[in-house]
Amino acid sequence: MISAKNLTKQFISSKKKPGLLGALESLFYREPVIKNAVESFDLEINQGEMIGLLGPNGAGKTTLMKMFTGIIVPSSGELKILGHEPAQRHKEFRKNIALVMGQKSQLWWDIPAMDSFLLLKRYYEIPELEFKQRVTEMAALLNVESLMNIHVRRLSLGERMKMELMASLLHSPKVIFLDEPTIGLDLVAQENIRQFILDYHRKTHATLIITSHYMADVQALCQRLVLIFDGKKAFDGPLKTFETILGNDKIVSFQFADSLTEDAALFADFSPVYQEDRKGVELKIPLEKLRAVTSEALEKFDITEFNTDKMPIEKVMKTLMTNPQLLKRHSL
Amino acid sequence: MNASALKWWETIQIAWSKYTAYRLNFFLQVLGPAFVFFFIKYNLWSAIYGGDQDILIAGYTFQQMITYHIWAMIVGLIAQGHTALNLAEEIRLGKISTYLIYPFQFWEFHTAHFIAFQWLQVLTSAVTVLLLALMSLLTVPSFALILTGLTYCLFVSVFWFALQYLTGLLGFWLEETWILRVILQIMTGFLSGAIIPLDFYPEKFVQFLNYTPFPYLTYFPIKIFMGEMNQIGSAYGIMAFWIVLLWLANHLIWKKGIRLYTAAGM
Repeated sequence: MISAKNLTKQFISSKKKPGLLGALESLFYREPVIKNAVESFDLEINQGEMIGLLGPNGAGKTTLMKMFTGIIVPSSGELKILGHEPAQRHKEFRKNIALVMGQKSQLWWDIPAMDSFLLLKRYYEIPELEFKQRVTEMAALLNVESLMNIHVRRLSLGERMKMELMASLLHSPKVIFLDEPTIGLDLVAQENIRQFILDYHRKTHATLIITSHYMADVQALCQRLVLIFDGKKAFDGPLKTFETILGNDKIVSFQFADSLTEDAALFADFSPVYQEDRKGVELKIPLEKLRAVTSEALEKFDITEFNTDKMPIEKVMKTLMTNPQLLKRHSL
Repeated sequence: MNASALKWWETIQIAWSKYTAYRLNFFLQVLGPAFVFFFIKYNLWSAIYGGDQDILIAGYTFQQMITYHIWAMIVGLIAQGHTALNLAEEIRLGKISTYLIYPFQFWEFHTAHFIAFQWLQVLTSAVTVLLLALMSLLTVPSFALILTGLTYCLFVSVFWFALQYLTGLLGFWLEETWILRVILQIMTGFLSGAIIPLDFYPEKFVQFLNYTPFPYLTYFPIKIFMGEMNQIGSAYGIMAFWIVLLWLANHLIWKKGIRLYTAAGM
């Protein structure tokens, strides 16, 4: 379905010194800077998979997405999607993909969303009946029926994003690329968008590739993660494996009714971090000992609150981003 | 209509709604510059002729000179009206990405916009001619003459569009192309007879100009409308040659340029 081998993209830009002198100098000479935005990237994705493409800013996620959608041409390597080379931008290929960009509007600002949809209906040659059915269904799901005839520039970001999603899915694409689809949205809107995407996937079994900095998106949508650091693939595997990439330890925190007077022997083996008022502690407990330790703690102390990590991937992601060298140890 | 024709038609309709979305802006953009230009010219030539109705300058009476400039304005509207094509900015800001994904080519999209724009320009021109005729500033020529002139102007506008498109595509290499477009417009203004009739220039220079596309852009169509032109065939031939040349150049430049496109900001 999607197959990338040795995919590389180089960008050439130029350095410019600051100030007037720098500006004048740049008129005559500019030092070229070559950067590998994506380097020797291999990836295999099967029909119906939902993949989270993660990485820090500037790691090359968007460059990859641009190559996948045929917007930019790879510098070298091989890329096949649905049997096509995206950079050729074959009509058949374009008819079967969609790109949703959270940061950029694809709808025309000065006309209502419905007008854009009608245009897309022609571009993708969607039969009248199917078009009507899809628009009605999606508009109801996203709760935007009353907004279809309002100029896009008058919609709120959340409303516009819903319209963008609709516009991208009207033609039932087989492969959908979502570049930060929930960026800048409030929590309810984020949840709506996620639900909608999940629903769409369940119905159509399309292949989805998602980039996002919100781990909640990834948690909700992706079964498999691909991590990209500095243009290179750093991890590729199931979400479950990723969660335990730094070990099987669970982060557990306890809050006590009264301050502890001394360090508890029970916690000593689990690298305890006490709060300043000693009314709380955070522990790293191996999964197999979790049950024993917590029940003993509940017995021994007057515990008012007890938490385990809700989102282990967020923690893993943060740790990896601040200590990329850890990845080398854990890499494939 | 087949699927492809429907795509074009729908795009043209969208273009109309976009062009007319801001009404005041639309009217100002289409009518404003032409009228301002015309009244500056009217006053300028009135001053030059000094109220003398019989004096001949470069073979033109005052009345003929004003007629010439009215037609220059109309020709400008139809043949060279489409100047808003800012491909360079779209390329620099990464705005063309969307069109690279839709199953409708980038050039098709812009050409459909051009066609939509031309319809509006023809309409505007018709209203302008009618108004000027009512003000008895202009004698409306025969229907046959209007049809001949209009057809030729539309043909020339294809050349102008292709040229604008070419300067826009240079945006793949240059960050800004507006200065190029301004130079092109000023040069065209002088060399095509839009600012002063070519009869004012030395004969040798005009002979040289005839080998360039410039005189065929404005001077020729003005003369068609004024009923003083009988070399339309050769003008069509020359412009067809330039259009094909530009089309080929655009094709090659796009193929090379798109490899450099970085889709900045996606």
